[in-house]
Amino acid sequence: MATNPMHQFNVYKIGPEIKINGIDLSFTNASLFMLISGIFISLFLLLGTKDRKIVPGKFQLISEMLYNFISKMISDTAGKKAKPYFSFIFSLFIFVLFCNMVGMLPYSFTVTSHIIVTLAFAMFIFIGVTILGFVIHGFKYLKIFVPSGVPMVLLPIIMIIEIISYLSRPVSLSVRLFANMMAGHTMLKVFGGFVISLGLVAGWLPLTFSVALTGLEILVAFLQAYVFAILTCIYLNDALNLHH
Amino acid sequence: MKKSDDLDTRLKIAKSKLENSEIKTDRKKGVFLGNAFKLGTELVAAVAVGSIIGFILDNWFGTKPLLIILFFLFGSAAGIYNVIKAAKKMQENKE
Repeated sequence: MATNPMHQFNVYKIGPEIKINGIDLSFTNASLFMLISGIFISLFLLLGTKDRKIVPGKFQLISEMLYNFISKMISDTAGKKAKPYFSFIFSLFIFVLFCNMVGMLPYSFTVTSHIIVTLAFAMFIFIGVTILGFVIHGFKYLKIFVPSGVPMVLLPIIMIIEIISYLSRPVSLSVRLFANMMAGHTMLKVFGGFVISLGLVAGWLPLTFSVALTGLEILVAFLQAYVFAILTCIYLNDALNLHH
Repeated sequence: MKKSDDLDTRLKIAKSKLENSEIKTDRKKGVFLGNAFKLGTELVAAVAVGSIIGFILDNWFGTKPLLIILFFLFGSAAGIYNVIKAAKKMQENKE
């Protein structure tokens, strides 16, 4: 049972079953680890902003660096107009990052390795950005589907392609994060299983792989959170500054 | 006094060397990895979305195999288009 590499992704209920109008709202291990990530984030940022010194301490330094990092990323990709959405992108980035990183701890559960979680994030961003585009530009926002300088004959085909390309955004955004996290954790578990089954004779070989993979997974965990945030910025940029 | 100056300049040179070589290549590697994942999913997602649209429209109009084939092709085109767009953006960022 424990050697099954997919066993780690099981969602099970913790505590009593809660049902409201036939919708299952029970507290699961996924909710528990989201809560743990939330607590970690709060503790980390509270510690970082507790005593604001001119010469920062460790936590203050890290949280200030994080702030600068996201702030620079937004101004680089989406311009000055995107400043009001800083708090949204910052929370998104830090939540995905902490969920990924908490998932790297042994015996923990990776929230972002479930497509329903990542798809919920991506659909929220997608719908939000689309509404934002229509609010700011009105029906002119539909111009995003009509690239300039295309001959009239090709326009219907190009429009269909543009619409499919636009609709594929939430899918690619969510699948990327989910697939990376799930594949990485499955691979770690498979190599871990090799160590046990090969024993003392040849077990050290998959063990070295496992160590290397853990390093890679931490890199991927950070990178995917970064890619998720930067793509949100790019979509936001498309909605804010219409230039097609 | 002279010795400490010497140490300072040497430290500066060493630090700049370190920044130029190790950290940058490490960061670059990460960016490349991210780009590779990005292009792959971009291609697949558009094909999937196109096919799903075709499937839904087929069920609506009762033209079973026709529209799914058409929209699969449109999806593939959209996927390649997405990849080209993403690659262009990467090149802009490089320069």
